[in-house]
Amino acid sequence: MRVSMEWLREYLAIDKSPEELAEILTRGGIEVGGVEELNKGSKDVYIGEIKEIEVHPDAEKLQICRVNIGTEELTIVTGANNILAGDKVPVAVPGAVLSDGKEIKTAELRGVMSYGMLCSDKELGIEAVGQDRSKGGILILSADAQVGTKLNDYLGLDNYVLELELYPNRPDCMSMINVAREVGTLMGIKPIVPEWTQADIPPWPEDIRQKVEIENYDLSWRYSALLVEDVVIQNSPLWMQNRLRAAGIRPINNIVDITNYCMLETGQPLHAFDRDKLQGTVKVRLAKNGEKLISLDRIERNLDNEMLVIADDNGPVAIAGVMGGLETEVTAKTTRIFFESAHFSGASIRRTSRRLGLRSESSSRFEKGVDPHGTVTTLQRVAELLLELKAGVPMSFTEKIAYLPPQAKIELSLDRVDDVLGTKYSEQEVVQVLEALTFGYEFRQNRTIAVDIPSYRQDLKIEEDMIEEIARIIGYDRIPTTLPQGSQTQGRRTLEQALRFKLRKALTKAGMDEIVSYSFTKKESDDIWGQAGRNIPLLNPLREELGVMRTSLLPGLLEIAARNTSRRNMDLLLFEIGNVFWPKELPLKTLPEEKLKIAGLAQGGSSRHWLVPQAKFDFFYVKGILSNLAQESGVEFEYSRIKESRYQELLHPGRSAEIFVNGEYLGFMGEIYPQLDEEWGLDRPVLFEIDFAVLFKNNKSTIIVQSYPRFPAIQRDLALVIPEEIPAQNIKNRVFELGGELLKEVEIFDVYQGQPVPQGHKSLALTMRYQSAERTLKDEEINSLNSNILMQIQQEFGAKWRK
Amino acid sequence: MKAKIQRIREEALKELETLKSMEELQDLKIRIMGKKGSLTSLLKQMGSLSPEERPQMGQTINAVRGMIEEVWEEKAKKLDKDALVKRLEEERIDISLPGFYLPIGHQHPLSKVIEEIEDIFLGMGFTIAEGPEIETDYYNFEALNLPKDHPARDMQDTFFITEDLLLRTQTSPVQIRTMEKMRPQLPVKIIAPGKVFRNDDDATHSPMFHQVEGLMVDNGVRMSDLKGILLHFSRQMFGESREIRLRPSFFPFTEPSAEVDVSCMLCGGAGCRLCKGTGWIEILGSGMVHPRVLKMGGYDPKEVTGFAFGMGVERIAMLKYGIEDMRLLFDNDVRFLAQF
Ligand SMILES: [Zn+2]
Repeated sequence: MRVSMEWLREYLAIDKSPEELAEILTRGGIEVGGVEELNKGSKDVYIGEIKEIEVHPDAEKLQICRVNIGTEELTIVTGANNILAGDKVPVAVPGAVLSDGKEIKTAELRGVMSYGMLCSDKELGIEAVGQDRSKGGILILSADAQVGTKLNDYLGLDNYVLELELYPNRPDCMSMINVAREVGTLMGIKPIVPEWTQADIPPWPEDIRQKVEIENYDLSWRYSALLVEDVVIQNSPLWMQNRLRAAGIRPINNIVDITNYCMLETGQPLHAFDRDKLQGTVKVRLAKNGEKLISLDRIERNLDNEMLVIADDNGPVAIAGVMGGLETEVTAKTTRIFFESAHFSGASIRRTSRRLGLRSESSSRFEKGVDPHGTVTTLQRVAELLLELKAGVPMSFTEKIAYLPPQAKIELSLDRVDDVLGTKYSEQEVVQVLEALTFGYEFRQNRTIAVDIPSYRQDLKIEEDMIEEIARIIGYDRIPTTLPQGSQTQGRRTLEQALRFKLRKALTKAGMDEIVSYSFTKKESDDIWGQAGRNIPLLNPLREELGVMRTSLLPGLLEIAARNTSRRNMDLLLFEIGNVFWPKELPLKTLPEEKLKIAGLAQGGSSRHWLVPQAKFDFFYVKGILSNLAQESGVEFEYSRIKESRYQELLHPGRSAEIFVNGEYLGFMGEIYPQLDEEWGLDRPVLFEIDFAVLFKNNKSTIIVQSYPRFPAIQRDLALVIPEEIPAQNIKNRVFELGGELLKEVEIFDVYQGQPVPQGHKSLALTMRYQSAERTLKDEEINSLNSNILMQIQQEFGAKWRK
Repeated sequence: MKAKIQRIREEALKELETLKSMEELQDLKIRIMGKKGSLTSLLKQMGSLSPEERPQMGQTINAVRGMIEEVWEEKAKKLDKDALVKRLEEERIDISLPGFYLPIGHQHPLSKVIEEIEDIFLGMGFTIAEGPEIETDYYNFEALNLPKDHPARDMQDTFFITEDLLLRTQTSPVQIRTMEKMRPQLPVKIIAPGKVFRNDDDATHSPMFHQVEGLMVDNGVRMSDLKGILLHFSRQMFGESREIRLRPSFFPFTEPSAEVDVSCMLCGGAGCRLCKGTGWIEILGSGMVHPRVLKMGGYDPKEVTGFAFGMGVERIAMLKYGIEDMRLLFDNDVRFLAQF
């Protein structure tokens, strides 16, 4: 809502600057988004009288004028030729900035100094009605214009607009009168609310052809109409045009301007029909499927049986509360008018407006709620303006009322006010607020006040609404600062949240950077990496590439890795912790399962260092990072070659693994399948994705300290050559078994392939730690145990001992 | 014999003066005082002396021996020290070379800010609640006092999956879910961080962003308590000297409602570019839980009151870290991430 300061001053004297008023309103809960100064292009422009005109001696097309601007007489050279001596014209003096940003300077024109500029309305950026000779040239003002006054003062253009950003609960402030009420309340001054009763309009004559009917009472509570004859279509007066322009509405003609003006003033949308084009009964009804209407914007609208329309005997003539029809539009030839002032259900108007993709000043008011009590008052205002502007003669009036909400009352307990706010307001303070609101009230028992809610404040329905009203008008600054009194509680993360927290830390400690990507993604990528065909589509995605809810975190990671790589950020260790969405059925009927996943991507290697060789971010690097996660969760991960065929085409079959915890499937990891990386512009990234819930289910958060033996341990190394297809883990596990209870630890400390190890074999070096809790072990018993193990391994795996 | 002793003594002392290594020193000790050393063999020859001469000669030899040993010890110490000095010199390294470490990674600024907010509220006795990203119309709107066709639904551009299922536009549905789960227990004291979605994408809007919701329901919760909790939060988050102010506002699920401004962390309230000259920066929306919302959550609004608040994590991260373009947060460039 654009509020003109000049207009506002009609209702109350404001001694504050527009900026100060904006602050008062904003602190009071009516947010002002901006303050706009209007007509800046005609700001430093004065009314001057042309004393004499002579032709420029050196330029036929230029004229030299002597112009009196009250304080002095200026010589001004102009190229215009529509002026005569004695004309009153706008004079921009040096320093003035015109609407196109041009600054007026003293200038020499063919040897004659010029001290200003005579202006056209176009150059001033205004639309003003001057004498007929003004067309296409200098604006020639009426002869009674006062020489020396500022043009903006004379034309009423010196003005500011406050741009109100209204919350949906205050549609009442889409009316100038209600804004004046609000300003009055917040500033403690009483506005003059006009009452229009002068125009005494007789009721609808019985013999009149047109009847008014409401078919759908639930969607339209009240329909009032005013019949006007002897209409003269012309321009509305300048003051009305200026106010409409300030409000952001283009003036059209006196009748259209009156409907818009009254709507701005009272908040009640109006519509003017050419009465001679209406046939039979005017009816408020739902449209029939298949009915069509060409609206004022010349677009054919397809109507359906959920849209409320105004119809005559021939069919719809307007989309109720949204827009009129072209056929019944007021034109220059119109002589009789049917003014509509009605109530329509906000929800219905909102639905229709959405369905048609059509919004108007009218629909934006109706859908937020218009006071049904205001229809007649507004028509009285219309009648008054018609007479004032000599635009027509109001002849008769009628209406249908289906329902009018009764006077609302709210019981306000002063104790409740203080209980909710934590304040200690005096009775008098609260009463002062009610006075400032100009609400009626009555004291009841137990410090309770019954407050009369005026019909224009539809947002005030329950006691809490009134409590807010009291608080905001006294000022939120008066609410003290306290801490809750109730029982003490302890805040802590749940076990699940704590584990997630720990895992996030573990991943960053391991050198990984956390990313955050959208929960929706491109269907094609998600089909590949996630649950093909099971991703949930959005009805109205922002873009096609963000069309489905992800079933895997990997497409997001790959995309972000690709973006980084294209920017030459080649070495990447990235992870994301986020939800994926697995539907129970498609199309979706119930909430899907939201699974928290942890996924990561590694590419490149560590930064080069003078001391140690560069570490490659390869399979084993990532496996190491996963060990950190296992450790934080108190579990061990088991790995086996991928069996699921889908992944065999996504991951390198020789460099990928399924991950299990306590035998339960946790996720997978591996290097991307050759060539797939090139499609992404990546270089052999290693990926993983695991399920948080499975990890949480298996995690051991309790730590029980094990005592460690006092007796020394004995260490033995074992080097073996084994066929290369045997997994090292199998050897390690078997050695551990064979070692019995004395063997506490087996680690693989070296793996080697190549000369002198024979083709098809690899060399494996194990280190074993033997220890007993009861005694010191003897070398001999360990030696024999060790050689037993060796013998067994040789037999079982075809391994050879390397010395 | 005496002359011999004297000669051994002089030679030994002379040699002790000049020799340079521990080996030479050990060698000298063996040559003079070892089993077959010159001085030792003189002692063995004492048998050939007269009984009168013996004690005196013994004394002389022992004196010389003692003296040599003393000098020898000193020399040994000196050599030890020289060797240490030499070693220290040799082992000198260029300490300006970088140390070796595994670089730690970086938490995303959004999860970092969420964690910080969580910790502040955990410290005030709140727990952390969570809710689904895909919601029903009921939890996202209806139960929050936003019936169908309510004009306030226009404030949010919703992503729909079906007519009834949608991507939550706010974390507020967690308010209802939490109350349903906890009723009739008191107090309810939670915050709910999470992702939210709105169909909007430009320099200041992202189709997905993060919010942290707060809810406290108990007997006698007042708006002044909300102010106290939020003042404490703002000071923890933005610095001890911060002040807050409440401005009337509108949310369908709170009444009264308030927008909360914090005094500008850049200029302290004097007015600057960040706060657009006002000295205040809007950080969150809040209010007293609407009685209808309490009722839908299963609590009697005549018995209990509550407050709720919601803040945008992106906005807080941008203010805290001086991020000017919101899109950086979702770009995930590692050069950006490495700064956190
Ligand atoms: Zn500032």
